[in-house]
Amino acid sequence: MRAPRPILAVATVAVIFISLPVVGLLQRTPWSSLDELLSRDSVIQPLLLSLLVSVIAVLVVVVIGTPLAWTMARVDMPGRRIVRALVLLPMVLPPVVGGTALLFALGRRGLIGQWLDQWFGLTLPFTTLGAVVTAVFVALPFYVIAVEGALESGTDDLEQMAGTLGAEPMRVLRRITLPRLLPAMGAGMALAWARALGEFGATITFAGNLPGRTQTLPLATFLALESDTEEAMALSLVMLIVSLAVLIPMRDRWMPVRRREQ
Amino acid sequence: MSAVHLAGTTRAGDLMLDVELNIEPGETVALLGPNGAGKTSLLRALTGLLPLTGGRLDLSGSTTDVPGEGVFIESHRRSIGWVPQDCLLFPHLTVKQNVGFSPRATPERVEQLLEVLGITELADRKPDACSGGQAQRVALARAVAADPKVLLLDEPTAALDIDSRHLIDSLIEDRGDRATLLVTHDPVEAATTADRIVILENGHVTHAGSPVEVRTRPRTRYAASLAGLNTIAAAANGRTATTTDGTIVVLGEPATGPVHLVVPPVAVALHRTAPDGSPRNVWEATVTELQPAFDRVRVVLDGPLPIVAEVTPAAVEVLGLVPGASVWAAVKATEITVHPA
Repeated sequence: MRAPRPILAVATVAVIFISLPVVGLLQRTPWSSLDELLSRDSVIQPLLLSLLVSVIAVLVVVVIGTPLAWTMARVDMPGRRIVRALVLLPMVLPPVVGGTALLFALGRRGLIGQWLDQWFGLTLPFTTLGAVVTAVFVALPFYVIAVEGALESGTDDLEQMAGTLGAEPMRVLRRITLPRLLPAMGAGMALAWARALGEFGATITFAGNLPGRTQTLPLATFLALESDTEEAMALSLVMLIVSLAVLIPMRDRWMPVRRREQ
Repeated sequence: MSAVHLAGTTRAGDLMLDVELNIEPGETVALLGPNGAGKTSLLRALTGLLPLTGGRLDLSGSTTDVPGEGVFIESHRRSIGWVPQDCLLFPHLTVKQNVGFSPRATPERVEQLLEVLGITELADRKPDACSGGQAQRVALARAVAADPKVLLLDEPTAALDIDSRHLIDSLIEDRGDRATLLVTHDPVEAATTADRIVILENGHVTHAGSPVEVRTRPRTRYAASLAGLNTIAAAANGRTATTTDGTIVVLGEPATGPVHLVVPPVAVALHRTAPDGSPRNVWEATVTELQPAFDRVRVVLDGPLPIVAEVTPAAVEVLGLVPGASVWAAVKATEITVHPA
């Protein structure tokens, strides 16, 4: 359909507003020395660490988030609203506050952390594992929201049909529910991954800023901005490319907003 | 031992179902009823998707749903095959995977059913590439492949062409011990396929009997309309009744209160001039429509008593029946059956 002119005008302004920083970044990128910049260890190391941390975090999010979303959508439990609010809290919480909370819970002297340290010799703060835990904490709600929404808006009829054909509940889940949930899981994974990749505040608070262990791309970029602007530009460009490389192939199909059927 | 023994109640939205239903192994029962009578809800109660609120349900002699005793067997433990109106094919599986979905389906049986229902060439397609009739056949094959003791068909032929209907009929024929409950709107299908007809109105069984019995001795207005009989609402007062239009009809048997008068179309005699003699109900009518019906013609009449007459094509010729023509209609009082409304 043709959009009315005022709406089109405002939408155009919004697109320009979103693209301007990207244009600014590209315009200031030191293209001539880019080769050298991108081959620096101080760029490659944070990139690899960021990919490692965000990918592991997304895998953990899928493993624990899928049963969580299913339970929230399907199980009639008391205090459902409270559970949902708790699960979604990290979306709203300022990341620094989230990091502080993690420190109190999982830090060496923390509620759980002291036992992890004493019994298993496991320390989370200032370790790559800590960075993963932080990324899971902030990214989980994005995945859960996407998957829970798809579950509520019902594969119920088909699941009932599968039941009348003699399929046990686990078989129904495996053959009907999960396959039909794949698009929503994909969308949720993309959102969760984007959130994990961009995580800054909670990571620096809880996991610290150790090169090679917890210094992810956003942390490295922030630090470089004060010492070496060109390197900061190169780091930003890397993040931009990685993000677009994931977002563009997803297009409409995997985005959580559902298009009306033709 | 009945395949289905139900004497129970349940609730679906605003509708209260209170149904007694028996189906013997190998028997085919057609379930007829107006929209909203509870036909689909009754099927869902048998599948276990709609639990009973009272009474009991036994399937093949085993206690299945008795709320009073806290017994409820879940869908996947019932030997039920369900073909819902909207088919509910699994969209992410191929036709063959759909048909073979049940853990009880064997590969040989799946191949055989694909062939019998003429959908072998669709085997690798996804359901959204199937037509409505093809989807119905796939849904039917999937339900039968699960080897159910009771097959529940919710208007399976609604989307089918004649060829497909024959296929479904042959599948119902080749049933062995399997009982079939067939929901339909089509009285001809019910009469030709079923051993017995059950009529459900407003959540209650209002008539159950052989197709011939239901057709010739309909007990309700709905049953009569199915068989093509005229039904006229009227208030009876002894030997006469007054229709809602104010026409007075002479009855063969005395009655009082609100009634439905049932008049077989063949009992309506048509004449060019006012007849005299035994018929007690005579009026002048206008022909509004002629409908061919096999070797007869149904003549739709307007007038003091809107009614349908059934005559031979020769009579149409002789009487000069065309839309707009004037004609005298006569019905013997003894041809009118009276049913309490």
